Parts: sequence; C-alpha cells; structure tokens
Amino acid sequence: MNERLALLLLTLLALVGLWLAPWAATNRETGARSALILLPNRTVDFTGRTDLVDIPGQGVVLVLSAASLLVVLAGAALRGRTRRWLWLAGGVVLIATHSWGFDRFGAAVREARIGAFVDIVQARIDSPRESTDVPGLERVVADAFELPLSSSIAAARAAGLNVRRLPYNNSGMGLSAFLMLVVGGLAALFSLRLSRRLSRAIDQILATAAVPATSILLALVAAAVVILLLQPTPLGREVEIAGLYPYLVGRLDTLWHAYLTLFADSLGTVSGFMESLKFATPLIFTGLAVAFGFQAGLFNIGAPGQMVVGAVLAMLVGVYLPGPPILVLPLAVVAAAVGGGLWGALPGWLKARFGANEVINTILLNFVAASFLLFILSSSPTFAAPAVRIILLLALAVVVITILAFVPWVRAQVGRAPRGVFAVVGVVLLVGVILAGLPRAGDQALVLNLPFKVPGSEPKSQEISVASRLPQLPRLFGIDVKENPGTNVVPVNVSLYLALIAALVALFVLPRFSRFRLWAWRLGGVLGVGVVTFGVTAPFGLTAVDIGVPPTKLNASFLLAIVTAVFMQLFLWRTRWGYELRAVGVAPEAAEYGGASIARNTILAMTISGAFAGLTACHYVLGGALEDFSLRQALPTSDGFDGIAVALLGGNAPLGIVLSAFLFGVLKNGGSVLNITFPDLTRDVVSMILALVVLFIAAKGFLPERLVNPLRRSRSGEPAVPGRELDRGGETR
Amino acid sequence: MSLDTVLLITLIGSTLRATTPLLLAALGGLFSERSGVVNIALEGIMLFGALAAAVTAQLIEAPLLRGNPNASVPLAPVVGVFAAMGVGGFIGWIHAVVSIRYKADQIITATAINLMAIGVPRLILTGLYDNSSTSEPLRNRLPQWGFGDFHLSPLVYLAFLLVPIVWYVVFRTPFGLRLRSVGEHPEAADSVGIDVRRMRYYGVILSGVLAGLAGAFLSIGNFNQFIREMSGGRGFIALAALIFGKWNPWGVLGATLLFGAFEAAATLLGGRQLLPPTVVQAIPFVLTMLVLAGFVGRAIPPKAIGKPFEK
Repeated sequence: MNERLALLLLTLLALVGLWLAPWAATNRETGARSALILLPNRTVDFTGRTDLVDIPGQGVVLVLSAASLLVVLAGAALRGRTRRWLWLAGGVVLIATHSWGFDRFGAAVREARIGAFVDIVQARIDSPRESTDVPGLERVVADAFELPLSSSIAAARAAGLNVRRLPYNNSGMGLSAFLMLVVGGLAALFSLRLSRRLSRAIDQILATAAVPATSILLALVAAAVVILLLQPTPLGREVEIAGLYPYLVGRLDTLWHAYLTLFADSLGTVSGFMESLKFATPLIFTGLAVAFGFQAGLFNIGAPGQMVVGAVLAMLVGVYLPGPPILVLPLAVVAAAVGGGLWGALPGWLKARFGANEVINTILLNFVAASFLLFILSSSPTFAAPAVRIILLLALAVVVITILAFVPWVRAQVGRAPRGVFAVVGVVLLVGVILAGLPRAGDQALVLNLPFKVPGSEPKSQEISVASRLPQLPRLFGIDVKENPGTNVVPVNVSLYLALIAALVALFVLPRFSRFRLWAWRLGGVLGVGVVTFGVTAPFGLTAVDIGVPPTKLNASFLLAIVTAVFMQLFLWRTRWGYELRAVGVAPEAAEYGGASIARNTILAMTISGAFAGLTACHYVLGGALEDFSLRQALPTSDGFDGIAVALLGGNAPLGIVLSAFLFGVLKNGGSVLNITFPDLTRDVVSMILALVVLFIAAKGFLPERLVNPLRRSRSGEPAVPGRELDRGGETR
Repeated sequence: MSLDTVLLITLIGSTLRATTPLLLAALGGLFSERSGVVNIALEGIMLFGALAAAVTAQLIEAPLLRGNPNASVPLAPVVGVFAAMGVGGFIGWIHAVVSIRYKADQIITATAINLMAIGVPRLILTGLYDNSSTSEPLRNRLPQWGFGDFHLSPLVYLAFLLVPIVWYVVFRTPFGLRLRSVGEHPEAADSVGIDVRRMRYYGVILSGVLAGLAGAFLSIGNFNQFIREMSGGRGFIALAALIFGKWNPWGVLGATLLFGAFEAAATLLGGRQLLPPTVVQAIPFVLTMLVLAGFVGRAIPPKAIGKPFEK
C-alpha cells in the first residue's frame, strides 16, 4: 500500500480537523447533547447548561500537534531513511502530547465536576430544609476535593441531599484528537520500516488487513451519510445554532459521537465487553458454519434454518430427557449439532444427487424452517379432516415408494421405463389425493396440542430441565450471579491471565525462531515467558484487581464456540478428511482425479457446516441467552445471515472469524446503546454497516490488485532499504 | 352466477396475481443470467422497488391530501411505479459494478444486497414515518382493469405482455443474440467485437428494473403500503422458476404460473382453515425444492454463468 500518500492525506485531514473538529467534549448529556472544546479553549455548547472549563496546556498541545503534523508532512515529502526518522519523531511527539493533554484535561474536568457538586451542596447549606444535616454537608464540602466524587455523593446522600444530574458527565476525546492519534500511530508504525525484519512484518500485516480494514472504513463512511441524514445535531433547551461554524462543528461531533457510542461501551466497560462477547458467541458459530462451506466450495446461506432445527432438537432433549447433567447436557449439545447437521445435509444431498444448487435450496429451507418454528410454537394448530387424510396418504406413499425402491424388480422396471412409471405413480397419487380430499359427513377437525408449548398465547416452549442448562460464564470462575444479583466486585488475578496469554502467544511465535524447533526448548521458552510475565506484573498489584462483574447472559457456550473454532482449524488443516474437503473446494475435478469423492465431500461439508450453525442453540436455548431457558419464536435467525459477513471478514479462517465475530459483537452491542443514546438513530445502522462490509469485501475494498496485495507492490514503489527487492524475489513473482 | 364460477374466478384471479411478481422478477433474472451474471439479489431488489414505489407515491400525494383528504391524485402511483423501476435499476447497477467491474463473487455481492434490503428500508421508514415496519397507507392506488368480478392491476397485464416481448428481444434481435453470446462464450463474443462488460451491465440493470417493477406490484399494485420483508422469498422462488423454465420466457411463464397456482391454492387452503397457516406458508417452498431437485438435471444453464470475464 502506498503509505506515503495515505499518511499525506490523513495529515492534511488532521490539520483541517485541528481547526474545525472538536478536540474533546467536556459534557455529554442524555439525548446526545454535547459541550465541546476546540483547541485552544474554544467552546461550543449544545447543552445550554455547561459552564466554561479552563483547561490548562491547550496552547502547548496545539503548537506541538501542529508542529509534529508538519514534521510528518515534511517526512512524506522526503525520501529514504530521513522520512522514517521524521515520521518516528512526529508520531512519538503526537502521541506523547495527547497523552499529556488528556491527562490535564481529565484533571480539569474532574475539578470542574467537583466544583459543580460543591456549588449544589453549598446552595443547600445556605437554604437548608428540615431533613438536611447541615454540619454533615459542611464536612462533605470540606473534603470534596480530596475524596473521590462517588464517596462525596454518598456522604451527601447520608446527610440528606441527593445530588443528581451533575454536569461534566461523560467527558471524552473528540474527533480531531482521534485523527491526530491515528496519524501519530501510523507514522510511528511506518517508521518501523527502519528495521528490515520489522518492515517485512508490516508488509504481512498490511497484506492481511488491507481489504478488511478498507472495507470496514468504507462501510463506516457510507453509514456516516445515513447517520448525518437521520440525526440532526442534538440541542439542549434554548440553544440555537447560529452560523456555519457551530453548524459544522455540531455535525462533525454528531458523527463522531455516534461512532464513539458504537465502540466505547463495548471496549471501555466490563459490562459492555461481556455484552459484546454475548453477541459474538452465536456469530462465531454461524461464521464458522458459513466459512466451513466456503472452504469446500459451497455457499451455505442456510444457517438461519439450521439454527432453528438445532434449537428445536436441543429444546426437545432439554425438556424431556431426565438424568444428571453429566449425561443430559452433552446429549443436548449433540442434539443441537445433529439438528443443524441434518438440515444442512439435506441440501448437500440434493446437490450431490441431483445437482440442485445449494444456494437456492438452503434459502428455501430457511423459509421452511421459519414456518416450522412458527408451527411448533403456535397454540393448537388445527387440521381439517380431508387435509389430515391427504397428509397421511402422502406419508404412506413416501413410505411405500421408499420400500419399493429397495426391491430389485421394481428398480428394473423403473430403469426400463422411468417416464411411464412416474406418470402412473403421479396419476395414482393425484386420484388418491382428490378422493381423500373430498369432504365427508361426520368429519372431525384434528386439533394438535403440542405438549412442549407453554399454555397461553406466548410463542415459547416449556423451560428446559435444570440438568441441561449451560452455566453462565462468571459461574465457571466462581461468581454466582444468581445467588448474589447485581454487580459483584471480585478480586481477579490479572497477572495469572496475562501470564497465560503471554505463554499462549509464545507458543505460536517461538517456533518461528530456529532455536526453538526442539520441543524441550519450546516448552522451556513458553514456561519462561509465562513465569517472567507473572513475575513482572505481580509487583504492580495485578494479582488482585477489583473487577465488577455485572449480571450477564454470557454463558459457557462462548467457550464451546472457541473450542469449535479450534476443532475447525485442526480438522481442515491437520487431517486427511479436511485436506480432501479443501481440495474439492479449490479444484473439484482435480480432487476427484486424486481419489476424492465430490458427492461424499459435499454432503460431509454441508453436514458439518449445518452442525456448527445448529450449535447456536447452545447459546440461545441451553445457555438461556433469550429471556429464559426456553425456545422462543424470537430466536434471532438473522445471526445466520450475519455469519456470512463474519466469515468473509475473517477470511474464512477460524482465528479471523473469532476476531471478526467479536468486532460484530462490539457493533451490535454498540447498536443497542446507540438506540438509547441517540433520539433519531436505530440499531439498523449496524445491520446496514454489516451488509456494506460484505459488499465491499466482495469487491476487495475497490482496491486495485497492486494495493490489495502489498507483497506484490509494483517495482516503482519506494524500497525503504536499498536492495530489499532482491531478498523478496520469491514473494514478488 | 353459481358459487363454483365465483370460486373459479377467484382462484384464477389470485393465481394471476400471485404469478405476476414471480413472472416479472424471473423475466428480469432471465436477462441477467442469459448475460452470464447470477442474480440472487432479485429478492432484495424487489424489496427496494416496493419501498421506492410506496414511499414515492405517498410523498407525492401527501401534500395534496392535506388540503382535501379525498383528493384524487392518479399520477402518484404511476410515478411510484417508475421510481421503483429506477431504484431497481440502480441497485442492479450496483450489483453490476461490483460483480462485473470488480469481479467479485456474484453470489456474495447479491447476498450483501439482500442483507441491505432488510436493514435499509427500516432506516428509511424510521426517518420518514417514525415506524420501522410499514409505510403510510396510500390513498391513491393503481387503477384496477377488468370486467365484472374480474379486476386486475395493469401491472398484471404488463407482466404477461412482457413474455412475448422478452422472447422476441432475446431470441430475435441482434441485442438478444449478443446478450446470449456473452453468457455462453464471452471470449468468442469478445473476439467478434462485442463489448462483453457492457452487455452484462445491460443484462443486470434490466433485471433490476424488472425486479423493481415486481416490487412495485407487491406494494402499490396489489396492496397500498410497504411492509418490511413483504417479498417473502418470492425473489428466490422466481430464480427457481427461471431454472425450471430453462431460461426461456415461455418456460418461465409456465413455471411461474405453476408456482403462482401453488401460492393461490395454499392461500385458499389457509383461508378455508383446512390447514394451519404456518403449514400453508411452507408449501410453496417445499414444492419449489421438489421441482428443482426433479428438473435441475435437465436444465442447462448459460455456460459462462457466474464467472467474471477476464479480458
């Protein structure tokens, strides 16, 4: 990718943003109204009730930012190593400046917030009510600037004053600061080309990330148009936009705030993070399902239907099978996979046997499954007597034909005159149907009472037995949310988890170095990394970090999803069957020549793919991610379609799918926060973004081939280190 | 008139009405697939067309109705129909750009369009009507043409009239010859100077226009408002009908009439409470699958279908 041009454009954009875009928001109120600060200390207030905050260091931040942006620009104009050094300097200064600036900003806003609190308390002291504990409040005022604000508020409440709606709520970064951090980060990243080994790593990162990243970016840009059309700048009481400048600032901030809302809650809070994992879990399953099909050259759009059938079977096992959890729970999980697998195997078989297109058949089966779900959750479906007779007749015919198909004499007759036999069978069936369909006297309509449907009009099944329920994720870590509802504050040994993660990363990275080829060395290295990480982090008090765990529907099926991803990785890339399956996907004729059966592999791939989709039932039924532990009509089958986007964004590889499912989980959770925060925006913005991501990825981000694959950069592209072209010869082609 | 005659006329009428959107969409799909581009986006394009027709007509008549609630604005639905065709053509153009110019996988592109057809209408409806599932009901609908008890929307007649026209265009004009050659053997077509990409653009955009028209029939031809996901899988059934009809307008007519009759019969069964409505809904899809499995082996698609053209 031409990083020089990209950075040049971004820097120019950041320079414009420095003048036009908000640097930070001092106050964001409900309804998305904001009070904004532009460098240096220019204020635009859309809330109508936020006083000025004097934030120190704004001039310094402005001067340093502008200067380092110019340095980055100069770097883009120069060649060779000078450019990299300039970019390194500019990037580091930008990031350092902003960390310092936001530190100052945070302190100033905290002070202003405490000041506003003190003003409110002081007002009450000056005109006390009967219930007011005046000396108590005076103590609160005296200590306000020393104690954390939350404890001051609690103390004030104890003294009879309930403080609500403090200003300077939700302060945070603005668009221009973000732009400058992006420029700084990118400049620093590209400056790493100073080292040859890192330069190749950067190329690799760009090669894998270029299309997904561009696609996401383009989708966000396209969604920006919609956001700006739908959502006018939110204004407080008696606030008007006078003139073009505040208008532009307001528009820019609406957009920025909307995107911030999409990401901030999921990535910035524990509850939001767990929510996005919850949203991600079914998407991992469906993403794996779609990707598994793609790997075998099949497009499985049938995940919604497979989800339904899996969920129904899991529900049946959960409701009716008695026994201890150790027996029932695995069986319920298997039932979910079997249901989805069967529903996937059907179009696979139709394709293998008749050549019927799996795309159309899976789509049609989605509609059939949707009707099926409605049917089994509807109260007392009624069949008229003739209809029952016709159904029985057809069922009988199917059974008879199936049995006859095994008789050699019948097979021979069919082989000799297939059309004649079909015609006879067709006429017989038609006559039979008409005869059976004629109404008769004394016909009684058949009313089905489905036992697993709860009485009443609510479309849901009975709750599944306790034995078949998957535990919530916190309970696996010893936090019982049921016993102790509300937010549980628990000390978490962060060091241990960090050590585990570091060891895991080392397990994958170390084999790249020749010394660690030997197992003994590798094991030692992994252990060493883990122990060192623990030893380094433990003294900082990371062994017991208090983390508030909110009530959640995130359950053990998340772990199951990860296990499924690992299974898919091992199956496709470490077994003979997986190899055969991928061979059929890439070149069916060649694979068949090599001894693989296309028909067998088609059915196998569709079955496993369907089973993955069916496993979503673990989340929605066995895990109780819908309101309770029952099958509901509200089963969000659209996850099956979102799985297509997840698979494409993840490059059809398990690790990529887990990551992109997490991104989509973040967006989905962000969408529900957006619904609450912005009066005129809905979560449908997110579904549009997902669809656009698929479109842009299909078009490879509209990037020319040269850019899509940086390893194949044209020869005119600048070699950062002379002679690098040579040692890349193998990859350049 | 006896009861049987009334029943028969009702059945014929509802068969024709059920056939129309399938036929329009399938004829559209014929142009696209004959040029070598799979278009499973018909479903989504129909939805966009339906939305465009309902919203345009409603926005045109709304200011006139404000003065006089009973004002007749016969032009509003007509403009709505053209809007649907325009929007359909535009979405078709998007499909064409991504899958022809950028050589994307045609099925994935189309899936993206279908996904968008779920989310985008809701955003537009929320923006216009503060209601994410339906548009405002229309006062002025398209006229119904016919005699006696037999009244049909002009779009029904148009759809059936289009069958011979499409047949003539595809099989008896130079344009049709080029279109088919591009779908059968693009390299050969290219070697005699036919602009392969341009012909494919024409094919896909035409399919969008016709699918948009099918959508307009759903929202303002047969009904008076847009309901989200109102196409209910008809785009996919139209594709199956296209395969069943062997990519030939007359075959497509037969296939869509068959599926239309299924749908009409299913509706009749449901209306008489012979079967639970949930079972009735599934019948057309099951039958479509059976027909596909039985006939697909004998239907030969255009040879170059689904493959991007590399010059």
